[in-house]
Amino acid sequence: MSDSVPPAPSAATASAVPTPSGAPPTIEVRDLRKTFYDESRGEVHAVDGISFACDRGEVFGLLGANGAGKTTTLRMLSTVLRPSGGSAWVMGHEVAAEPEAVRRSLGFYSASTALYPRLTARETLEFFARINRYPPERVPERVEELVERFGIGEYQHARVEKLSSGMKQKVSIARTIAHDPPVLIFDEPTVGLDVLNALEMVRVVRRLRDEGKTVLFSSHIMSEVEKLCDRIGIIHRGRLLALGTLEELRERTGRHYLEDVFVHYVTREEGVDVAELGATGELEAGA
Amino acid sequence: MTPLRPGRGGGVLATILRYELRMLLRDRRTLLIAVVAPLVLFPAWILISRVVERNEERRLDEAEYLYAVAGTLEAWARTAVHEALALPDSGGGDGARAVRFTEVRPPDPDSALRAGDLHVVVHGLTAEEYGALAEEERLEAIERGVDGAAEAEPPPLARALRIRYRAESDFSRGAMSRLREALTDLRRLERDSAFAERGFPVALGDVAEVEDENVATAEEEGGAFLGLALTPFLLLLMLTGGSIVAVDAISGEKERGTLETLLTTSASRGEIVRAKLLAVTVVGVAVALVNGLNLAVYLGLGVLELPASLQMAVSPLRALVVFLLYLPLAFLVSGVLLLVSGFSKSYREYQIYFFPVFLVFLVTALAPLLPGMELRSAMVLVPVSGISLAVREVLGGEVDWLFAGLAFVSTGAVAAWLAILTERTLSNERLISRSELDAADLAGGAALFPRHVFRWFLGFWVLFWVTSLWAGESLGIRGQILVNLVGIFFGGTILLLVRYRLPVREALSLRAPHPAAWIATLVGAPAALALGIGVAEFVNRYVFPVPEEMLEAFGRSLSGPELPLWQLVLFLSVMPGVFEELAFRGALLHGVRQRMGRWGTVLVVGAFFGFFHVSLFRIVPTALLGMILAAVVLFSRSIYPAVLWHALNNALALVPVRLGWIGEDFRLPTWTVVPALAGVAVSLWILWRTGAGRRAAPVPPGPGFRA
Repeated sequence: MSDSVPPAPSAATASAVPTPSGAPPTIEVRDLRKTFYDESRGEVHAVDGISFACDRGEVFGLLGANGAGKTTTLRMLSTVLRPSGGSAWVMGHEVAAEPEAVRRSLGFYSASTALYPRLTARETLEFFARINRYPPERVPERVEELVERFGIGEYQHARVEKLSSGMKQKVSIARTIAHDPPVLIFDEPTVGLDVLNALEMVRVVRRLRDEGKTVLFSSHIMSEVEKLCDRIGIIHRGRLLALGTLEELRERTGRHYLEDVFVHYVTREEGVDVAELGATGELEAGA
Repeated sequence: MTPLRPGRGGGVLATILRYELRMLLRDRRTLLIAVVAPLVLFPAWILISRVVERNEERRLDEAEYLYAVAGTLEAWARTAVHEALALPDSGGGDGARAVRFTEVRPPDPDSALRAGDLHVVVHGLTAEEYGALAEEERLEAIERGVDGAAEAEPPPLARALRIRYRAESDFSRGAMSRLREALTDLRRLERDSAFAERGFPVALGDVAEVEDENVATAEEEGGAFLGLALTPFLLLLMLTGGSIVAVDAISGEKERGTLETLLTTSASRGEIVRAKLLAVTVVGVAVALVNGLNLAVYLGLGVLELPASLQMAVSPLRALVVFLLYLPLAFLVSGVLLLVSGFSKSYREYQIYFFPVFLVFLVTALAPLLPGMELRSAMVLVPVSGISLAVREVLGGEVDWLFAGLAFVSTGAVAAWLAILTERTLSNERLISRSELDAADLAGGAALFPRHVFRWFLGFWVLFWVTSLWAGESLGIRGQILVNLVGIFFGGTILLLVRYRLPVREALSLRAPHPAAWIATLVGAPAALALGIGVAEFVNRYVFPVPEEMLEAFGRSLSGPELPLWQLVLFLSVMPGVFEELAFRGALLHGVRQRMGRWGTVLVVGAFFGFFHVSLFRIVPTALLGMILAAVVLFSRSIYPAVLWHALNNALALVPVRLGWIGEDFRLPTWTVVPALAGVAVSLWILWRTGAGRRAAPVPPGPGFRA
């Protein structure tokens, strides 16, 4: 990693990546890169110079096929992975220089962030509120609020290992926001969920946006992104191919459906015919 | 922007600890296997083994043993056996031998014995037969290399009874031991009556009485016993107990997918590791205590028997000192287990690593069992061993505060270091996620070398030891030197250069030094030798005492056994100068320098060099020489002065003795250390001024480079 810490963007100095409102961004990603070495594939640029910025109260969607670099980007933002190049800030804190401050400002949810099976639902919320440094005296009040909000009162004293997947999902979302962070990252949150639970997730994200949270959302499901996101970034082979609102993307491509917009950008990048792409299944396989 | 005042860091640590323990207490199966099962199984095992043992004894006592008699003196043997079996029991039993012996007369008694048709065969041998048989066995023993076989006394020229039996059969073994006892009693009686017939007193006690008397107090005796057994016993319990939490603490979290959840919270890596370390320690100590109490209960109930003095052995003060000594040990055990958990990606992987870790701990804890091993020795610096020795001495009645403190510090320091390493594993992308490697992996080759250099030299060290122990004598001194210097050190260096595609000139510092470096070397080498001798004498006399005979034997070995002078210079001076320098101050220094600062490199390279010199008492002086030579290369930016310095050092230590200029017992006056130190300092100063101090950036920076 670089020895010198990039200066945090501030309201006074114009950010390199502007937000729609022109206000200081809650998340700023500047030329972010991550390179892995894989025994079979050699050097892999999982994220290859991505830049974007998010506003307060915005749902920003990263849309891409499997292996496009969405999860790697989000894991760098959550400080689990260190960037190989570029930098990113969450609430003004640089991810490599101030990882703990970054994590204090965000809640991270993904299919791979499991819960402790031997804790009850209530204990789970209490545990995550406390270790995320929520003021100790206000933890019981916060837990009550979450129990009520997510309707987990009935099974709040049941161990997580005994809960159904839908119940676990609710507890998992509640633990993500247990410390009331201003920024939320949802990585493929509906993977493996049935239709009703997926709809519940969409409802939760909308409500969080309405509360003024910034939600960074990744998905490969077009309809979800279409319904939820204020702005969309199309990511492919680690690079951001397009960025804008759904309307802007429609205007730029002349396509109405997001699926067509996505295919337009990907095929242009790949230089292949749409029919051929469908026949080879390259889009599904991802990078 | 954060809306609320955040909680304190101490709260985070306490929260993680509290929840870790809560989750453990809810894991009934683990608790059952790790805590309840030993509580029940331990006494059950003792009781069952006692019952089995008693039944076995009764079965053997009540058995009917079949025997046959054979040999040239068969009739004599038969009579002897009959008379012996008719004797009253010498063991003070019921006055008659409880077992029944029945003679059988198969056509071939030895075949019948092998077929299991009878239990023993008694052969009556003439004196000649017995003598020939004994000689045959002696020659076989010599051939097998049995110690002392060649010097064994020939047996007396007398008739003999030889009992043949089968060791794998309990009954055959039982018959043999009972018959042997009866025949020995018979021989004693016959001897006594023979003496009596010739007018000698019979009772041996009338001739001379041999007595012994134990002057140790019950406390000392009990303490010595406890001191030997306590550390391995406690370690066993702490390792198994601590593992209950450790396996789940990191590797279990990885497997369940909860580690990523935890790592995306605002708890720092340090807080997470410290909390988990405390949890492992608490549980390890608790399991040890529970099992210790369990043992005490069974001792109290008389299910187990130990020396009666043991309960009296530990005074409150000594118990406190022992408790304090065990604190760093408990943290060390937890640190190791947590580190293993951090390195393992699954429960299965943890279990694979656990067994060797367990063995290493046990072997180091058994240090007090080594003959002559004292706390006041280099062993005090070995983690676990130092504590084990200190505990033995404290419980035996002595407290060497200085060395007990050293043992505490050495084990505690390693425990702290392990905690830091574990913290790093939680930031290591290769360990927290399955498929990803980092920048050094990406670059491969030379960039990976600094990370791998220690494991390579550890491998060389093992190879060095193995060849010294297994092939040392058969190779002879020249063969051994060739294998070590050319095979391991030079071969190893070439292997590293090729494997990591290292730039040869830079990696081995193959640069021409400033001309003044040669003068500095000619001044520095003899001065460093004198300094090394002075330091070695000080260490061997005051810090880690070494027996005078060992030093003298080493002094004699320095005169170079059976080698002509030119070979002495070639094998023990020039070759070490070239090949050891290429390995240690070339490859090793190149790797270490990219991991740490200048002085850290000097220390580490010197320490490695010291540990390659097999004898314990040589570690300090050779490590000192290694450090000076590392400084020589770093300061002069060239390996050549170090090669000359090393060769000169060895030549000056060997040649004057060989040529008879000085005696083997020659000692430098103590005051020579002062000018020697000044000589080394001046030499290094010259090297610095004309080398690294004159130019910038001696070695290209790598990860973690500090100028």
